[in-house]
Amino acid sequence: MSKCKFEDLIDGYLLNKLSEGDREAFEEHYFNCSSCFEQLQERDVIIRTIKNNPALLEEKEEVRSSALAGLRKELASFLTVRQLAFAGVTALLVLVIIFTVIPRHQVPAPNFFLSDEETVRGSSITLISPVIDMGQVPSSFEWKKLGDNIEYQISISNGELLWKATTRENRITLPDEVKAKMVPGQKYSWQVKAFGPDGSLIAVSSRVQFKISAD
Amino acid sequence: MRHKIDEDIQELIVRYRPIIAFRVRKALGAQNTDCEDLVSEILSQVLEKIQTGEFRGESSLGTFVYTITSRRIVDYIREKTKVMKYAPEPAPFPDPQETLEVAEMSDRVKKALSRLKPKYREVLYLYYYQELSRDEVAERLGVSTRKVSELVNYALKLIRKELKS
Repeated sequence: MSKCKFEDLIDGYLLNKLSEGDREAFEEHYFNCSSCFEQLQERDVIIRTIKNNPALLEEKEEVRSSALAGLRKELASFLTVRQLAFAGVTALLVLVIIFTVIPRHQVPAPNFFLSDEETVRGSSITLISPVIDMGQVPSSFEWKKLGDNIEYQISISNGELLWKATTRENRITLPDEVKAKMVPGQKYSWQVKAFGPDGSLIAVSSRVQFKISAD
Repeated sequence: MRHKIDEDIQELIVRYRPIIAFRVRKALGAQNTDCEDLVSEILSQVLEKIQTGEFRGESSLGTFVYTITSRRIVDYIREKTKVMKYAPEPAPFPDPQETLEVAEMSDRVKKALSRLKPKYREVLYLYYYQELSRDEVAERLGVSTRKVSELVNYALKLIRKELKS
């Protein structure tokens, strides 16, 4: 059975939702189309039965909706101007409390001390010297101390590893044989890694480049 | 020949009476006691105009009957407005004088409704009882409008099946 394009207007007609033009067109149509009229009569009985017996459909929906729709209605009623304004003021008040009152009452953060057994993981090491171009081969390397009981590993390279050494100090003196290997005019880089008492890596410095001027 | 015309007239009345009656009840409200008279009046006007040759087949017979019906309804409302000051307000959901046939159909619809799965009942309730648009029903149920149409159409199909059984 092919569908008549007017069929879609049946509900709108019976529920009085059609525009005047559509309504008149549809009325003229069902005077001419027996299939549509038959459906119209049938739908009319269906809709009227529903209208007169909502309980038949309601009960199930009521159970769920009483809670759900109740909430929905309550929310919908919030949309009155007055309540909206009230909600706005409340929100503002909450913001004021959050940003002004609470921070004042906050306990200051405890000072942070490291005991001998403790180390901070994941921090970085600041290299002190050399970090710029040098007039001559540097005789020592220095970096900022992280804490006690830490072992530092220094590595110097010029493309490939030149020298690697460990120390518990935050400075190290370059041995002469390494010094001899370093040539003016070359670029070198160095890096320090820190290891905790248990041997775990806790900090790494950035790799800093320096050049020994060729004079 | 005379016999043939009588047969045609019979056929015409059988075909158009229910359509005219539907249109009149929809416009005036089924509880309006004038409905029956108006329907009869319209039918005799139609027959008269056909017999006097006023219907020349320029439009379809359906459209011809529709035009006469609409005009008569407008006239009726105009007459009533003069007397009553206000046009009769058709009831939004008229309970027509229920013929036995309609009453039986309605019973079958009720039976079918009570057998529907909750998802169909819910959609019919919102769409036909609360008269929400398909879009609004979709929003309520959190499904697409297309899905709402599918649910409504399927529910109607199930009800129709019950009506035809």
